[in-house]
Amino acid sequence: MSRFIRWQGLASFFIVIALIVTFVYFFADSLVKKGIEKSGEWYLGAEVNVTDVEIKYAPLTLSIEGFQATDPEKSTHNLVSFSQASAGVDVWQYLFGKIYISELNISGLRIDQPRLTAGEVYISSSEGVEDGSEGADESGLPALDMSLPTVDDLLNNSDLLTIKHGKALEQSYQTEKKKLNDIYEKLPNKDSLAIYNEKIKALGNTKIKTLADIEKLNKAFKALKKQFKADQAIVKQAEKQVISSKNLLAKQTKTLKDAPNADWKNIESKYQLEKVDGADFAHLLFGEQAREYFGYANTVYQTIAPLVKSSKVDKEAKPSIGEGRFIHFYDETPLPDVLIEQANFSLILPQGEFAISGKELTHQHWVRGNNSVVEVTSDNVQGTGELSLALEFSLDQSHVLKSDGKWQLAKVGLKDVSLQESSAFNLKLNSGLLSGNGTFSLLDEQLDSENKLKLDNTQYTGTGTSHLSTLFIDTVQSLKTLALTITAKGKITGPSFSVSSPLDKQLKKSMMKQVSNKLTDFKTDVKAGLNTKLTQALGLSSEGEQSFFDVESLINDTDKALDNLMNSDVVKAKKKVFEDKQKKKLEDKLKKKLGDLFG
Amino acid sequence: MLSLFAKLFHALNSESSTRQISLAIALGFIVGLSPLLTLHNIAFLFIVLFLRVNIGGFILAWGFFKGVSYLLSSLIIMVGESILTAEPLQPLFDHLYQFSLFKLAHLHHTYTLGALVVGCLFAIPLYFLCNFFIEKYRIYIKAFFDKFRIVKALKASKFYSVYSQVSGQGALS
Repeated sequence: MSRFIRWQGLASFFIVIALIVTFVYFFADSLVKKGIEKSGEWYLGAEVNVTDVEIKYAPLTLSIEGFQATDPEKSTHNLVSFSQASAGVDVWQYLFGKIYISELNISGLRIDQPRLTAGEVYISSSEGVEDGSEGADESGLPALDMSLPTVDDLLNNSDLLTIKHGKALEQSYQTEKKKLNDIYEKLPNKDSLAIYNEKIKALGNTKIKTLADIEKLNKAFKALKKQFKADQAIVKQAEKQVISSKNLLAKQTKTLKDAPNADWKNIESKYQLEKVDGADFAHLLFGEQAREYFGYANTVYQTIAPLVKSSKVDKEAKPSIGEGRFIHFYDETPLPDVLIEQANFSLILPQGEFAISGKELTHQHWVRGNNSVVEVTSDNVQGTGELSLALEFSLDQSHVLKSDGKWQLAKVGLKDVSLQESSAFNLKLNSGLLSGNGTFSLLDEQLDSENKLKLDNTQYTGTGTSHLSTLFIDTVQSLKTLALTITAKGKITGPSFSVSSPLDKQLKKSMMKQVSNKLTDFKTDVKAGLNTKLTQALGLSSEGEQSFFDVESLINDTDKALDNLMNSDVVKAKKKVFEDKQKKKLEDKLKKKLGDLFG
Repeated sequence: MLSLFAKLFHALNSESSTRQISLAIALGFIVGLSPLLTLHNIAFLFIVLFLRVNIGGFILAWGFFKGVSYLLSSLIIMVGESILTAEPLQPLFDHLYQFSLFKLAHLHHTYTLGALVVGCLFAIPLYFLCNFFIEKYRIYIKAFFDKFRIVKALKASKFYSVYSQVSGQGALS
């Protein structure tokens, strides 16, 4: 028997085992401490420090004191740190290949705290996580980033249609006036017509004794008629010119009358006065803030999601290369690979202290059929505020993450919150009381969230660089209550935001009220100025029109007088008188001869 | 390390049973392929210490095959995966899974089971191969190498002096 058995070897075996157990017992704390530091550094790519680790064996409890994980993107700060953590680990389950923590407590959990000395960074993070401020829509700002010119400057602007058309009308009036004057000079005047009348009269007084006298009279009248026709041609030409001038000036007058309205439209468009009606004020003020907060949610999701999703285990999964995997079979009391049955965190942020409790935290919810439940409460948000948040999430076997939650906020005092810092204006919420509630759901990275917020007792300060932005600030300052509805829909990495509010109507109404005086004054002044220019231009036109009427009347009178002169049948009348006379003479002669004959 | 090699050479050159040395190498092969802290490794360690197996040979084989295991890890995992996910074996594993010892031994881990199966399967031919080569070494190779000047030079080295101390001999037999 002793040929095969080495009895001293049996002793050696137990000595070796005892040495291993002793080594583990005495050095487990240091080994676990190193393990946490090294695995944390491997995962984060930056220095991880643990002050102390203590392991208690009955029951197995792991306590960690002073944990600090350097932020790889800001080595002077910790990404996360906590003062104390303890976890009750089920040894048997751990030895079976599962991590089952019955209770995990973390106190003094802090995010983004400065380190005493800068931590080492081993890999630089190339993936920029959206910080929430990216893509902040400033499209609303340029609408207000304009200053209104003075009314005088505006009215002296040579680009105004009223001025352009007024000048055109004036120029046309002068041109047409000159043309009419030229023709007016050529028109037969009253003296000429009087001379013509005198001549006709003289012809009428001509003594006709013989036919030769009539012929002579006819010749003289024809010569006069020729002159009348020449004058009538001038009159016709003048008539045509008057009609043409009148049409041109009428057309230009109409254009000029329409010009002030067209000018106001251009002014509204150029100085974006119409935007006051359509501005998305709520989005302008709170859109960036909303993005920032959803950016934080996205950062948390991006950090947790890979941890949750990468450790899915099922029998259909392909063999992993390198380390292998546990395959679990039917179990009467199944457990996920990792399960934290109860977790309690105390999170300390600059905004306040938050108590976070989690139940059934795992990445394999289908194993026990329970959802993970997380509750966050605080009664000192920004001093006196109260927060309660409850969410449930679960991951199914096909990696689809489903989450639903709701939150409520009350009595949160806000102080010195910068709402807008842009070239157009700066606006700061000095104080206010925030309350609200909201719901959110996440299904396979698709976010659907609706949040209602109310701000009471608000006080603002701000400065604007333009008339409108100053008015906007004045209006916001006059509001004591603001209600907001912020919705976020779409992929969690880049949801589309909608910030709506009765505020928009309220602000528009209020702002319109505020701006109405200044804007209406401005509008009235500009329109009055435009109308004055119109009246001046039209005054010129009326003057011209009157002179056109004068010329027209003169032309008509002259034309009529010439017609009368032409139609005055002095030759015929004289001829008839001569003929009647001759007839009478012949009758008398005949009677005398007959008297002599019969008498 | 030199002592370990010296012990192995002493064992090879001594009258120690070739089976003891071959068994040490075969067991070193099984333990070397498996993860360090597993239940079956503790059992094999017990066997190595309790039975008259050449410890030096076991430790060297363990170290050597630990290195080889990194090259074979894909094969080992594939074997473990195939066995654990084989449909006909599911009732067996469902039954074994109810025993804490099965889970404690991590035999439901693809690498651990794969390493144990590959180790046990190849340990048997390895045992016989080692037997064969050690015998051949003792008859032919040792005498052949003794003729070389380099071997003679080695005998004057520190390694040889360590070897001599371990074996308690002044010269190779």
